[in-house]
Amino acid sequence: MAAEAEVLDELHRLRARVPQLTGALAASVDGLVLAQDTPGVEPEGLAALTAAALGVAVRMADATRQGDFRELLVRGEYGYVATYAAGPSVVLTLLAGDRANVGRLHLEGRRSGTRIGALVEAAAVEAQPTTAARLPAKPAVPRTRTARTARTTTEPTGESR
Amino acid sequence: MTNTETALKEALASIEGATGAALVDYTSGMALGTIGGSKGFDLNVAAAGNTDVVRAKIRTMEHLGLKGEIEDILITLSDQYHLIRLMKGRGGNGLFLYLVLDAKRANLAMARHQLKRIEADLEV
Repeated sequence: MAAEAEVLDELHRLRARVPQLTGALAASVDGLVLAQDTPGVEPEGLAALTAAALGVAVRMADATRQGDFRELLVRGEYGYVATYAAGPSVVLTLLAGDRANVGRLHLEGRRSGTRIGALVEAAAVEAQPTTAARLPAKPAVPRTRTARTARTTTEPTGESR
Repeated sequence: MTNTETALKEALASIEGATGAALVDYTSGMALGTIGGSKGFDLNVAAAGNTDVVRAKIRTMEHLGLKGEIEDILITLSDQYHLIRLMKGRGGNGLFLYLVLDAKRANLAMARHQLKRIEADLEV
């Protein structure tokens, strides 16, 4: 995946558009950081936790016949952690304060997820022009992991709203 | 007393020129209910965007030291009116009704009056 720079650009644009965001991270479904803009939060730990949560979410959606994974929202005392599907192999995780406009977060998160998915796909096609014909055969079954104790501390940012 | 669904239906049916309505939670920016709208006019997008409008106005009033409360907000476009009515009492805190009107067909004074009545009857 050679789309890191473009994906990082997208994360910066997203954070500029949605000022209530306190962090944004794009990670592969198996927990590796692709691009990150998460001040105050350790990205590797967040990516690993995202993958673990995603594994459960995918299975839960599957077990209740809700189809493919789309998004996951966690609300804590001080804010939100939202994860959106970004194509078959990447997810976008966003952090936002507790006064965040969740409606807006969803709209921008979904849109951005779609865009990041397209960027990653385009980079994958570019990297293997000869095998491009058999590309959709990418089996993106997210690995589930046992939850690690990688502890990420999110400080409550003193939001003025 | 009416519920959300009935209130939105009533808004769309009884207010002349209404093309869409939503009940929005502005603490989260999400719509509790929507009616009308169209492919090109997503009421969930409107709910999230107008949440920012309402929050900005509330914050501005705090900064100005104004004690009064917002009753409604009118946004006039060249061919539409958008009416935002904040709910008060009976668990309606943090909610607003959002009404889209076709400017050519709507009677603004009447629409405002009717929306006020629908808001008063609505129990969430």
